[in-house]
Amino acid sequence: MMNLEFMINTISLGSLYALLSLGLVLVFGILKLVNFAYGEYLMIGGYGLYFSATVLHAPWWAMVVFGILAAILTSYLSELAAFRPVRNKSANALLVTSFAVSIFLQNAVLILVSPRARAVPLPPIFSQTVNIYGAVTPVRNLLIIGTTISVLILLSLLMKKTVLGLAMRAASDKFTTTRLMGVPANLVISAAFVISGLLAGISSIFWIGRSASVDPVTGAAPLLIAFIATVVGGMHSPAGAVVGGFVYGLLFNVLSITLPASMISYRDAFMFVIVVLFLLIRPEGIIKGGYTEERVG
Amino acid sequence: MSLLSRFLTWSRQHSTLALLMIPLVLAGLAINAFGSSLLLNIYTYFCVSLIMVLSLQMFMGNSGILNWVHIGFVGVGAYASAILSTAPMVKSMGVPNMFPALVALNMPVIPAIMIGGLIAAVLAAIIGYPLMRLSDFVGVITLFATLIVFHVIMTQWDNVTNGPRTFFGVPEFTTLTVALIGALIAIMVAYWFRESGLGLRLRASRDDRYAAMSVGIDVVRVRYYGFITSALIAGMAGGVWAHFITSFSPKAFYMSEMFILLAMLVIGGSGSISGAFMGTTFVTIAREALRQVEGTVNNAHVLPFDVFGLTEAVMAVLMITILIWRPGGVVGGQEITWPLFKRKSPIKEVEDGV
Amino acid sequence: MTPMLTVENLSASYGVVRALNDISLEVNEGEMVALLGVNGAGKSTTLKSITGVLRPVKGSIKFLGQEIANGKPEATVKRGLSLVPEGREIFGTLTVEENLRLGAFVSYQRDRYKADLKEMFELFPILEERFTQPGGLLSGGEQQMLAIARALMAHPKLLMLDEPSLGLSPAMTDQIFELIKGLRDRGSTILLVEQNAERALGIVDRAYLLASGEVQYSGTAEEIRRQVDIASVYFGGDDAAPCEVTQ
Repeated sequence: MMNLEFMINTISLGSLYALLSLGLVLVFGILKLVNFAYGEYLMIGGYGLYFSATVLHAPWWAMVVFGILAAILTSYLSELAAFRPVRNKSANALLVTSFAVSIFLQNAVLILVSPRARAVPLPPIFSQTVNIYGAVTPVRNLLIIGTTISVLILLSLLMKKTVLGLAMRAASDKFTTTRLMGVPANLVISAAFVISGLLAGISSIFWIGRSASVDPVTGAAPLLIAFIATVVGGMHSPAGAVVGGFVYGLLFNVLSITLPASMISYRDAFMFVIVVLFLLIRPEGIIKGGYTEERVG
Repeated sequence: MSLLSRFLTWSRQHSTLALLMIPLVLAGLAINAFGSSLLLNIYTYFCVSLIMVLSLQMFMGNSGILNWVHIGFVGVGAYASAILSTAPMVKSMGVPNMFPALVALNMPVIPAIMIGGLIAAVLAAIIGYPLMRLSDFVGVITLFATLIVFHVIMTQWDNVTNGPRTFFGVPEFTTLTVALIGALIAIMVAYWFRESGLGLRLRASRDDRYAAMSVGIDVVRVRYYGFITSALIAGMAGGVWAHFITSFSPKAFYMSEMFILLAMLVIGGSGSISGAFMGTTFVTIAREALRQVEGTVNNAHVLPFDVFGLTEAVMAVLMITILIWRPGGVVGGQEITWPLFKRKSPIKEVEDGV
Repeated sequence: MTPMLTVENLSASYGVVRALNDISLEVNEGEMVALLGVNGAGKSTTLKSITGVLRPVKGSIKFLGQEIANGKPEATVKRGLSLVPEGREIFGTLTVEENLRLGAFVSYQRDRYKADLKEMFELFPILEERFTQPGGLLSGGEQQMLAIARALMAHPKLLMLDEPSLGLSPAMTDQIFELIKGLRDRGSTILLVEQNAERALGIVDRAYLLASGEVQYSGTAEEIRRQVDIASVYFGGDDAAPCEVTQ
């Protein structure tokens, strides 16, 4: 049952990538910021897991809460301290700021913890496998799929049914006009960063779950995945991010199977070339979406 | 108009060049004569950094596109020049898996540096062709991803680069004089580029892409040429660097080095040559000072841990502070001109052309 | 009686370009006042300063006796000032219903909201038909109605309209002006910004004529008509010609 295994694997990978991309796009939608510090929220989330397990000896559910809270807090604080003051400056100023935040967080962890990787003790369920109609798959993969589905449902309820969600959608469309409706700019932007941090935190659990360790540059790979997935799917709507995540997961798994062993270390390079070629044909990504390019001023 | 007055007008118009180059030369001479070997090293490194930052400014400063892949071109130039000029004996020992054809190469340093620049430019011409068509956020992300691809290739292609391991035995060539001459040339080239028709059109496309298009500027094309020119200088800078440092690994051409280059450019102000110059000066001084602090703290063992990474962390905070306080950098997008602080053009160049 | 809105010696600029130079104006309660002038005269800049989108260089803006210059855009609507922005600025991805609900963002109460919606449907029947459609699918005139309805949902004490006739067909322009007149007759206080001076003077009480960032004439609609040749090339109705603005 190679096919079922491949399918579960691809869907779970796609789910993880979709969560990652979604966190990036939410902030992009409102602030028009490609957040280079996003990977670091995930990295700090990983350290949250590590410290809650090793220092506090917390049970697994508390670890999860700690990890997610660490990511949310980092995201929120970075908005408060760095992004808010440069918000009305140029787009490049914001971009460079986010890179500086990323470098700062990496080096802060380097100084305060260690340059070396730390093992994160995770509950056994993360390493167990399960047999579904002959397909052997890690339980972790099923957890990712389940979590992603719940998160997507909750998030779309938040966006569609609550006033905050309405305000956030409006702000992604026309920021200044939204403010003129009486919606505080800081509220929607902070909310976007908090949700972005939440998604980074949730992704962090599964990302760390694969290698069971965390180091200061853990955030780099997921950041790149989120970047590429969002440009493929379309940066202009949450739907684009989700679609991009799944497409990228599929591409990754297909290349993993089809590339000869000697070329596997170049997989990222291959994926990237495919993506650039695709973007030349369709620069706006798969889903066009309604976000405008208006910048926050 | 007499020749003299023509010269005076010319030199007043281009006083920026003199204001940057004369102090650079004077300081270089002074350090060469009286400086300690540490100071000599720092100044040489400063001149090499200056070439890299100025080449970054040529494209990024004038086009407004955050060029992540720049440090990758520096790396290409460094590896190319190193492979071309290192003795076959050294290469066969140091890089056991290298293609035999590459091992055999052995040429003088100066042509090697030139060819390194050309290879970087050709590479820029190939990858720039699709990339310069992508704008805004998609453009930024794809340039960023290209840097990662460069890094992947540098660390994996051990027939050429020795993989993630150090490439050593590169002939030493870059003295303070060489670096200084290189920096002077870079200043002139970057200045000429900025003032040239291409540079002007590039700046127009930065300030308002649609307005530039409407006056007939082919934005994709001017970006493309700018990208290639910048990569050419970046590649040569890489060569000059390689013959100074003599051994290096792909790590030297990745995020943290790119961050330092960006810091140098952004802190001074990416919109002008003067900004790039000031930023490089400032960051070099700050970095050396922080390294001293880092070393002292680590050696004294006053803290229970090593403060490895302090330099980058402080630099990041500094950069954010500058962006909040003066988004156009310290110089603010304008060239410094003679007489200093006097002429203020009524319409400032876009302040936030970071 | 103190005016509802008082703008005094207001100057504003975009970078080094001065857009407003020492302008002063007033709007009294129950009045409909027009701000007229050609493109670039400073009309929108005045509104941007009032709504806090642009920080004025100097001068004061008082609304109901309270200083509001340098306020935040989001505070504007809470004070009782609603803007119908230039170009309508409908949230295209949001439904008509959601657009209206955002209009009521600061004052949302379920019962009142229901009643207000009903009132809007009476004023603009088309919105009821289009209630669940995305705003981006509406025609220009319908979007303008939605923009006005959205502003009214906040129960503004002063309603500001920025170029409501811009880009609309003549027939639709007629309809919009009829609606605005209707709002005035219901007792709303209105500040109307228009290029189409001829039409605007037909419905307002008083008007200010701006040119290159300064108030050139002010007075009742009658006085303005007498002082200025409206149909002249300076600015005008259907045969509007490009203007020469003296610096």
